[in-house]
Amino acid sequence: MAHNNLMVGLEIGTSKICVVVGESRPDGTLKILGVGQAPSRGVRKGEIVDFETAMKCVHEAVVDAEQKSDVMIKSVYVAVAGSHLQSFNNRGCVMLPEDRDEIDGQDVEDVKINAREVSIPAQNAFLHSVIQHYQVDGQQGVLNPVSMLGQKLEADFHIIHGVRTRIQNTIRCVKELPLDVEDVVFSGLASAQVVLTQHEKDLGALVIDMGGGTTDYVLYSEGAVRQSGCLAVGGDHITNDISMGLRIPMARAEKLKIEEGSCVLGNCLPGETILLKDDSGFAGKEIERETLNTIIHLRLREAFELLKRRLEEEPYLGYLGAGIFITGGCSLLNGIDHLAAEIFEVPANLTHAQAAWGVTSAVENPQFSTAIGLVKFAQVMHTDRPPRGFGRIFGKLFSGKR
Amino acid sequence: MIQLNKNYSLPERLAEFIPIKIVSVGGAGLNALDRIVLDGLERADVVAINTDVQSLTSSVATRKVQLGRSVSRGLGAGGDPEVGYQAALESADEIREALADSRVIFICAGLGGGTGSGGAPYVAQAAREAGALVIAFVTLPFAFEGKRRNAQAREALARLSEFAHAVVCFENDRMGDLTPPQAGIHQAFAMADITISQSVRSIVNLIQRPGLIRIGFDDLLSALRTRNSRCLFGYGESDSDNRAHDALTQALKNPLMDRGRMLADATHVLVQVAGGPGMTLSEVEILMQELGRHVSDQTQILFGAVVDARLGDRLGVTILSSLSAEEEPVLPLQMPPARSSASAASPVREQCQTATPELEVQPEEQAVEVRPLEETVPFEEPVAAEAIPVATPSIEPSVIPIRNGEPERATSTPKEKSVPWKEEKAPAEKSATPAKQEVLQFEPVTRGRFEKSEPTIIEGEDLDVPTYLRKNIKVK
Repeated sequence: MAHNNLMVGLEIGTSKICVVVGESRPDGTLKILGVGQAPSRGVRKGEIVDFETAMKCVHEAVVDAEQKSDVMIKSVYVAVAGSHLQSFNNRGCVMLPEDRDEIDGQDVEDVKINAREVSIPAQNAFLHSVIQHYQVDGQQGVLNPVSMLGQKLEADFHIIHGVRTRIQNTIRCVKELPLDVEDVVFSGLASAQVVLTQHEKDLGALVIDMGGGTTDYVLYSEGAVRQSGCLAVGGDHITNDISMGLRIPMARAEKLKIEEGSCVLGNCLPGETILLKDDSGFAGKEIERETLNTIIHLRLREAFELLKRRLEEEPYLGYLGAGIFITGGCSLLNGIDHLAAEIFEVPANLTHAQAAWGVTSAVENPQFSTAIGLVKFAQVMHTDRPPRGFGRIFGKLFSGKR
Repeated sequence: MIQLNKNYSLPERLAEFIPIKIVSVGGAGLNALDRIVLDGLERADVVAINTDVQSLTSSVATRKVQLGRSVSRGLGAGGDPEVGYQAALESADEIREALADSRVIFICAGLGGGTGSGGAPYVAQAAREAGALVIAFVTLPFAFEGKRRNAQAREALARLSEFAHAVVCFENDRMGDLTPPQAGIHQAFAMADITISQSVRSIVNLIQRPGLIRIGFDDLLSALRTRNSRCLFGYGESDSDNRAHDALTQALKNPLMDRGRMLADATHVLVQVAGGPGMTLSEVEILMQELGRHVSDQTQILFGAVVDARLGDRLGVTILSSLSAEEEPVLPLQMPPARSSASAASPVREQCQTATPELEVQPEEQAVEVRPLEETVPFEEPVAAEAIPVATPSIEPSVIPIRNGEPERATSTPKEKSVPWKEEKAPAEKSATPAKQEVLQFEPVTRGRFEKSEPTIIEGEDLDVPTYLRKNIKVK
């Protein structure tokens, strides 16, 4: 298997673990060769809580992917999520020496290092520094300053960091298999890679990846990441609410959510009920549809409102030209786009991985956005190597090694 | 160099007087309140709220509210926040009446016990409902007081930050770091009170003192506006040759400041420079330039300057800011307590040594300024105590006499003033220990499958609890 351009994305999610094998074509497109998945156990809210069990599930998923794509998997890109991830924007600045006024690659590296010289909690490690844009002697919006003339180079970065040990746990889980970890990527950032086109990033877009355990969000404006983060609320919470509200077991609540759930209120007949069939064939429980929908609606409304309040801390929410893009397993819930549009007052779309082809059933499933995004991320990394050059370089710092 | 003329200082404008109330809840809060009153505070009303009648009677506060006449029958809450909360509920009307007609309400409380943990969030709620800006000053218990107490404190903190506009949180553990190891235990306890007193007084002064460049209520609001935020506060004072630099360093050395590192993330920083008539423009310039290195370009600096003849040769800097923090209850833990003393760089050490001799002079001036008695000496303590642990490693013989003299005075003064309330605090804590097993949670929560996972607490709400339960919406 001498595929140099093979890339594998692994997402250890709360509800499922999925492995996507992709191939970068010479024309720059991405072909998905196969998707392996396994139900996830031992993961809560995007983070591993039972190491052994999670490892077994990852193994299952990897084997599944190997069989389906007929490829030997050696190294993977891994997505991380979890409420410990935080982000902020920071500006780095370097002054060129007196005798030189042409900016070179080293200066670009220096400015990135300079931007990182901020205090983050001692136990945290940097995950990404995503360049927003450069400024040369006060000239705004420079995309690539290399070989420009100037004395002062400034760069705005969006920096994502998280608790080092928690990130390392994810890495270790993969390394024990053993598989190599090429890089760890914030899952929201990965999803955004395939969900958004460059045009949408330029217009301004908000990606909400609502998965089982977490809701990851990334906000783009003028082509650059402005805000990102992770809310530890996801589909699991909806299921839990249903289970507690209707007093039915989790497994049945999950099934009910997927089959009948909706977050639209007032859309059903008064007194309309759903009959829950008992496994043994006896007449089951009757549930009012409106009750079910209310529970889902309240939870989602709260999550979106929370997200909105977070995003409102900075002014970019008003500049979403392309609107909101909802992906992840929860985006399959009926009416979630209308609810998001109502709360954020911006048009919302349901979406899935766009920039890939191959196993179409996988590409079109929003549950795989993150894993496919990882492959896309890998592709961008590969084509950008050596990394200094094109505008969108992802600050790569292998947090596991720091 | 432009010398600021004495004549420039404006006459006091009484029209701009803002009604301020300082409210203490619980035993520890009462201690802090007494300290504030004893240190001398003008233009603010004080209200003491407690379940324990005994400690209320010995308090120097002008207005007192006894909580829960029937719930606790004049005794303490026994370390049970539920009792504290019920007691506050019972006396809701009295609390509201006491809080009426003020635009800023400071709440002082020690979290972890019964009255403070249970009552303070309720008082904050009432204060907010009364339409005031609510700033809470709270202490977290020492680690050795047990995990239960700490958990209670954090729970209360989360609830409190729901209602208060800003919560300034002092960890007793870190206060312990500020006192020299040989100092008596009462001094360690007094440390928190002193720091709280200092913070409250400087914020009150900030609002009430007329200035050349005035900082008002509005500026204070915008500096503290971020909801669910963590407060950064620092106050420094110096009259050395390099007083601008020294005062700033001292302000940044405050335990809540984290040596200015936290300032980098702040969006608004409020700075007030106060000095006597001799304060020069270049001094202010130096100070602001130096501060500028700690904040980012985007930060808005709300600057105020005050010329107050009573300050004499001293120059004081107050820095106030807030960081929005999602996990408010967790944050205080993240700050390693050792940092304040361990990371003391050599320049700071030098300043301490130069600053210490002047500190001795201060009490007299202070006495002229506020009160003619020995009450001002305790206010002196924090400065000395703060400086000493830092300076210890390379301390010069010349400093030692001062240091020896200081604890002596410190031990003599609190005996007159602070020991009575300390003694009352001790039995309250003892009675807390047996009650521990019966301590109730604030509310019986059901988290379903997330029962054993790490809670997701955002904006003071536990998101693992179903939304309809938290919002009290009936679904069936």
